[in-house]
Amino acid sequence: MDFGYLDSWIEEQVGREVVEQVGTGYRNIWVVAETLNGALAPATVQTMGQARDMADQIGVYVFGVLLGEQAVQLAQELIAYGADKVLAAGTPALNEYQPETYTKALADLVGQHRPEILLLAATALGNDLAPRLAQRLNTGLISHCVKVEIDMSERLLLGTFRVLGGEMFNTVACPEARPQMATLQPGYFRTPSQDAYRSGDMQEVEVDLSDAAGRLTWLDLDAAVDKPAVPLRKARIVVSAGRGLGDAEGFALAEQLAATLGGVVAGTRGALDEGWIGEEKVVGIGGESVAPDLYVACGLSGDIHHYFGIRNSKLVVAINADEKAPIMKVANYAVVGDARQILPAMLQALTR
Amino acid sequence: MDFSFPKEHQLFRRMVREFAENEVKPLAKAVDREHRVPLETVKKAAALGLMGVPFPQKYGGMGGGEMGYCIMMEELGRICTSTATVIGAHTGIAAMSIYLDGTEEQKQKFLTPLASGRLIGAFGLTEAQAGSDAAAIKTTAVRDGNHFVLNGAKVFITNGDIAGIMTVMAVTDPSLGAYGGITAFVVETDTPGFSIGSLENKMGIRGSSTAECVFQDVRVPKENVLGQFGAGFLTFMKSLDIGRASLGAACLGGAQAAMEGCMEWTMAREQFGVPVATKQSVYFMIADMAAEIEALRSLIYRTAWLIDTHQPHIKEAAICKLYGSEVASRCIHKAVQIHGALGYSRDYWVERAYRDARISEIFEGTNEIQRIVLASNLFRPYGLRIPS
Amino acid sequence: MKIIVLIKQILDPAGILVRRDKEKMFINREEYILGPDSKAALEATLRLKDAGGAEVIALSMGRPRAEDALREALALGGDAAYLLSDEAFDAADIPVTANVLAAAVQKLGGADLVVAGRESGDTSAGQIGSRVAEALNYAQVTDVHVLTGEPGAIRATRRWGGGYATVQAMLPAVVTVAREAFPARYAHGARIMNAYREWQVTTWNAADLGLDEAALKPLLAFRGESFPPPLPVGEQVKGAPASAAHELITALKLQKVIG
Repeated sequence: MDFGYLDSWIEEQVGREVVEQVGTGYRNIWVVAETLNGALAPATVQTMGQARDMADQIGVYVFGVLLGEQAVQLAQELIAYGADKVLAAGTPALNEYQPETYTKALADLVGQHRPEILLLAATALGNDLAPRLAQRLNTGLISHCVKVEIDMSERLLLGTFRVLGGEMFNTVACPEARPQMATLQPGYFRTPSQDAYRSGDMQEVEVDLSDAAGRLTWLDLDAAVDKPAVPLRKARIVVSAGRGLGDAEGFALAEQLAATLGGVVAGTRGALDEGWIGEEKVVGIGGESVAPDLYVACGLSGDIHHYFGIRNSKLVVAINADEKAPIMKVANYAVVGDARQILPAMLQALTR
Repeated sequence: MDFSFPKEHQLFRRMVREFAENEVKPLAKAVDREHRVPLETVKKAAALGLMGVPFPQKYGGMGGGEMGYCIMMEELGRICTSTATVIGAHTGIAAMSIYLDGTEEQKQKFLTPLASGRLIGAFGLTEAQAGSDAAAIKTTAVRDGNHFVLNGAKVFITNGDIAGIMTVMAVTDPSLGAYGGITAFVVETDTPGFSIGSLENKMGIRGSSTAECVFQDVRVPKENVLGQFGAGFLTFMKSLDIGRASLGAACLGGAQAAMEGCMEWTMAREQFGVPVATKQSVYFMIADMAAEIEALRSLIYRTAWLIDTHQPHIKEAAICKLYGSEVASRCIHKAVQIHGALGYSRDYWVERAYRDARISEIFEGTNEIQRIVLASNLFRPYGLRIPS
Repeated sequence: MKIIVLIKQILDPAGILVRRDKEKMFINREEYILGPDSKAALEATLRLKDAGGAEVIALSMGRPRAEDALREALALGGDAAYLLSDEAFDAADIPVTANVLAAAVQKLGGADLVVAGRESGDTSAGQIGSRVAEALNYAQVTDVHVLTGEPGAIRATRRWGGGYATVQAMLPAVVTVAREAFPARYAHGARIMNAYREWQVTTWNAADLGLDEAALKPLLAFRGESFPPPLPVGEQVKGAPASAAHELITALKLQKVIG
């Protein structure tokens, strides 16, 4: 069914002046889809949701772009998440990611169809590909966006991203070059719901890759990396144990949480006396000073001697049954409860 | 007049600071507790050229001059006095004596392994009956063919038990006294007859070793005479004179650490509802620390400049040691007071710093000797001779 | 192997304080440093040099003060250093920076390998590596955690699809490295002295690189800065364990401290 007549209707209703951009004829919002284990990558789905919202705002189509044989089978799913049209380049030559072939394929498609906005998820693939594509297209790319929106007065994409380790945001636009490209940081955008009844067009497209040779040989898609050991004072996440954990079993919960969060475990002098940790893991004035992004204090009261060792932490969570414990006043989040019960609940929620 | 450090020295300071924070600091508590020398740190320092900072690169040194050396000693002193002492004794007096008075052959043979850190150096002067009265040494060196045979015992020798090379003062002619009767020698410690006696059990700088060194018929080639024969006393004094500046730099670092620690603690510690840093009795103490540190800093680096530009510096270097050690002591004394009971706890750095600081008024020439040197230099232009 | 390392001098973040409550950024101590991501790039490169020999050229676009960062690169083990500096570069955005760097690489006769940090320590855009690779038509591998050299190629283990993947890339190639995977070494004291006393940094300007106005025209426009909301202090989370845990984890995810 052709809904094309709705386009003009939408524009009329809203009465918006559709500003023509420099480099006339650039229109519509594209999402380059990425697949993970045979399905659409969650980050792609989030990006689709964002694209859909923005397209509705300015009254244009959302195009999904799929590359590779496996990928094109996901066309319907893309539509269900909000794509109006899907460009499917199902040639086997695109089954495997190669910067050169993907750049060529997308650059050609962009040249033919001229999207005004082109989005990718800021995954490993997106981060690798998007800047090369932007350079090929001689256009601007706003990367790692935590927020995207349209400036309606100028019909410009505004991308907001973190700087200074996340303490600040910058917002940037690409006023003239087209398409305006952005990569969206996974986890910052809502996941839209699937609408199986949505319909859209899938168009199979051919791409000429004759002068684009991939130069990567993929040797191992499931490699492992040994992480260099990080000393406690440089750890980004620390889970700290105090006497309130009761016994070795309680302490093991703290260790588990540390492992789940990808951090290190530490403790108070009380934990040392109980034999749960060695001297080198004692945090506080007589031990180590830490400055992690996240410090989780489990079952420890946290007087000044302990606090002095953690005062440079970015965010402190305290879990203590006693809401009057000193740590509960200085922590950012003070969970009132028995750590021996809260920790298992946290582990459950995190590993779900 | 440009008082800023040359850019290479600024970069050098940043490197040493990072090294001190990451490699030295984690061991500071342990080496004090276990009364052991951090040889692993010495090895890492050697790999970065830090065991020969003031010496020219052609002798395996870093080419940093006295200024670079004072910078390093300040940064090490800020983190661990023991480590500063180990490296300081090696560089500032032991290797330095060879640099100042050695022949070209001696520099190639002995200074190079020291400057590159392949061997550790020690300075063998003090004896049981000869401390401030250095001329009262009794270790003898008797000529025997192409060798000198050394007999005697030195005490309180820093690095004595880990040194590969030791510069030793010995009596070559008892009838001539200090000037003419004492000669300096370079002794390789693997020479038969050299042995280590007891190690001192010290109040502080327990991360450095202080050894009794025994010489029993130690045969030293005559080529190892350091400086002029019979002028050993002068050779050693020259080395001690220069060494004082960098010792003052280590004290500067210690004082700086005391002040920084006090500031951090007093901003975090609350009493009577406010950070104690807002209490006048406290911030006056910190302000006094800052004033003395600033004055000491200017003194140290101006003295380093005098040394590097080959200008007279004996008086200034003596003040560096005298004033530096007393500033460090005053600052750490205040730091203990400011930290209250915490300053008395062996679990925290303050009491270690307190114990470590005490030696600085005693070794490398007591502060009483420094006052004599200073007064002597003050009155000499007027023709008045202050005897030592 | 001829390796060009792209380095960036940044304002030391340790001297910057952001007051979320005041919505202001304070520069308490204005000091410029060789960025940690650049240091990681250098470290990865120096490891290749240690393993199989290489000529290491440090390259940076910046104000004249960036010369210090280049001298530090020499001290760490670089063999040569080039500074690209021109008033015309002051307004450079990411695409312009990539153009300038690529032009310099070409003026240097290309390289077997170009190494950069995955992102810079300040704006963290993470685009330069891929952009330069495209401009030079080199192969590219980004977000590398393990890097070794082979004849005519490099082998890299890079972040991929939630985990890691190992690839082999034909030279010439551009590689960007993860900061945490290549802890930097210390510079040898003698090299620090020599970096200022013996060795030179060559400076090129826009004309030297043959860059015209078109190549230097920025594509991006700054549209404002904003701040995350201040962190709560002493905010209590109560209730049954399951709901309290859920509330806490939601809050931590919103604050982006956990994934």
